[in-house]
Amino acid sequence: MADLKLIDIKKSYGAAAIIHGVDLAIEDGEFVVFVGPSGCGKSTLLRIIAGLEQVSGGEIQIDGQSVTNVPASDRGLAMVFQSYALYPHMSVYKNMAFALENMGLGRNDIDQRVRRAAQMLRLTDYLDRKPKALSGGQRQRVAIGRAIVRDPKIFLFDEPLSNLDAELRVATRKELAALHGEIGGTMIYVTHDQVEAMTLADRIVVLRSGRIEQVGTPLEVYNRPVNLFVAGFIGSPRMNLLPGRTTSAGRIEIGDQALPIEIPSMGQAAGSEITLGVRPECIDVVDEAQADLVITLDLIEQLGGETYLYGSAPALPQITVRQDGQARYERNQRIGLHLKRETLHFFDADGNAIRIR
Amino acid sequence: MPYIFLLPNLLFFGLFVFVPIAINFVYSITGGPALFPSDRPYVGAGQYTYLFECGSYVDPSTCREDHFWRGVYNTLFFTFFQVATMVGLSLLTAIVLNMKIRGRGFFRAVYFFPVLLSPVVVALIWKWILQRDGLLNAAITGLGSDRILFLAEPGWAMFWAIFVSVWAHMGFYTLILLAGLQAIPSDIYEAAEMDATPRWRVFWRLTLPLLWPNLIVVVVLSLIRAVQTFDEVFVLTGGGPGTSTLMVVQYIYETAFSNQVQNFGLAAAASLVLGIVLFALTLAQLAFTQRKSS
Repeated sequence: MADLKLIDIKKSYGAAAIIHGVDLAIEDGEFVVFVGPSGCGKSTLLRIIAGLEQVSGGEIQIDGQSVTNVPASDRGLAMVFQSYALYPHMSVYKNMAFALENMGLGRNDIDQRVRRAAQMLRLTDYLDRKPKALSGGQRQRVAIGRAIVRDPKIFLFDEPLSNLDAELRVATRKELAALHGEIGGTMIYVTHDQVEAMTLADRIVVLRSGRIEQVGTPLEVYNRPVNLFVAGFIGSPRMNLLPGRTTSAGRIEIGDQALPIEIPSMGQAAGSEITLGVRPECIDVVDEAQADLVITLDLIEQLGGETYLYGSAPALPQITVRQDGQARYERNQRIGLHLKRETLHFFDADGNAIRIR
Repeated sequence: MPYIFLLPNLLFFGLFVFVPIAINFVYSITGGPALFPSDRPYVGAGQYTYLFECGSYVDPSTCREDHFWRGVYNTLFFTFFQVATMVGLSLLTAIVLNMKIRGRGFFRAVYFFPVLLSPVVVALIWKWILQRDGLLNAAITGLGSDRILFLAEPGWAMFWAIFVSVWAHMGFYTLILLAGLQAIPSDIYEAAEMDATPRWRVFWRLTLPLLWPNLIVVVVLSLIRAVQTFDEVFVLTGGGPGTSTLMVVQYIYETAFSNQVQNFGLAAAASLVLGIVLFALTLAQLAFTQRKSS
């Protein structure tokens, strides 16, 4: 186990800057997830930590020691690749033993470590098989086993579940969480799937265009997004973001509707641009007379345990409402919406959160 | 229904491949100078017996048809060294051309260009370089040394026959191996890097085993080609000096068409023997290729 510090990390390919000065400290034993849309630089950042990419500027420290110019092979890290990157001509046993042979360990020691990891990952029955004779989930476990046997300072995972089907992804996600509990190493995990980020992470690092947008625990990031990007990216279905203007009465006007919602007084002049954010589960369906907003339903999605309502109103983006259970509504039905005041988010003209609590 | 679509090609193939094989077999069991099979007397296995009649198979001079056995031994020698050199150099070149070196595209083209040349053109170019008053000797004498008779001394002639053949065909095998190297996913090398694998171990334990199917194809294909070698060596050395670079195919050609007494029967028997060897090599190649694809 080890801690990691990234100090002003920059990466460019020619004139194209990919990572723009990232600073981050990861504690010993922490499970940190890098999340962001495609092209945000999360995999590049992971590869920089691994040593598979050279930095254009900045410093990487592991346990206080600079490893910026240390080759990948000497950093003592292990990486699980998106494609698994198993050696196709070697058995599961050989795949796991390969790195240990490089380390010059004795045969008994290697055997002990491989069998212990295989037992932990339920791979004992497959040790003699070649990767092509394994299922996707089993291959993924071999890739994880190959990392575990080395007892690395830090585990790096590059979208390890993205090649698995939905059911297997959920199962493997749980196994990974259990594994972290069991072996307790420092783990850095890259994903574009925010559900993986929310369920696995001790801390989430949200990235956009090579910059860190927010770092925090999953609930911090969910409950207190620092800007419009994080608010829209974290949460599924995404947060409703309603652009509007402040009124002279200290309220918000969205489209042609003045909502009876008082906005936090942060010195905005009347007529300033402001965005109201509200998560789908923070909206109640009420009588039109008591409603903040009235929408016409475009689509109803019944998921069994919950229902999603998608509706629109003039000059407003589509609004998503989550209802518990199997709510009965019709397409084109008008419904009134009440936005729970304590859950509302406000963002200024620059997209930054306006904090009221 | 599918056989109807196969039929035109099969007829064409049959007419120009199977029928000549059958005619060749008829020639090999008949004798005499006549050209038309119906005019040729039946001799049974006589041509084969004549071909294989040897005091000692290790010494061609003890064989009745010593030129055939000289050709066999020359072809074996040529094949062994040509294939070994070709595979080794092709592998080395493919590895270098797979690296991120400056001018990679240019070098890839340069190594492939000789493949596009006709074997006769290749041989004539090198003959011009290697002959007594050729380019190489001009350079050597220019440096103050004596001329070397590259094509008139048996050892040198065989060396240059192998060299020219390797030069002419190496690009093709390099291409096959380069394709094999490029098919190895780069993340396997990255995983090896994370596993702190020394470079020599990456080559022996990862690159070579993963390239093995391509290497087998290259070895078998170059074997087949080397055994059939004729035109390049024939134009370059004419099989000489003496019979030092005489190959089996040249023996067949000369026996049938070039000697004063044209012996179609003996040439047919020799080509059938060669055909059996090539058939065995082709089967080996098919077996390896099928194993690779499965």
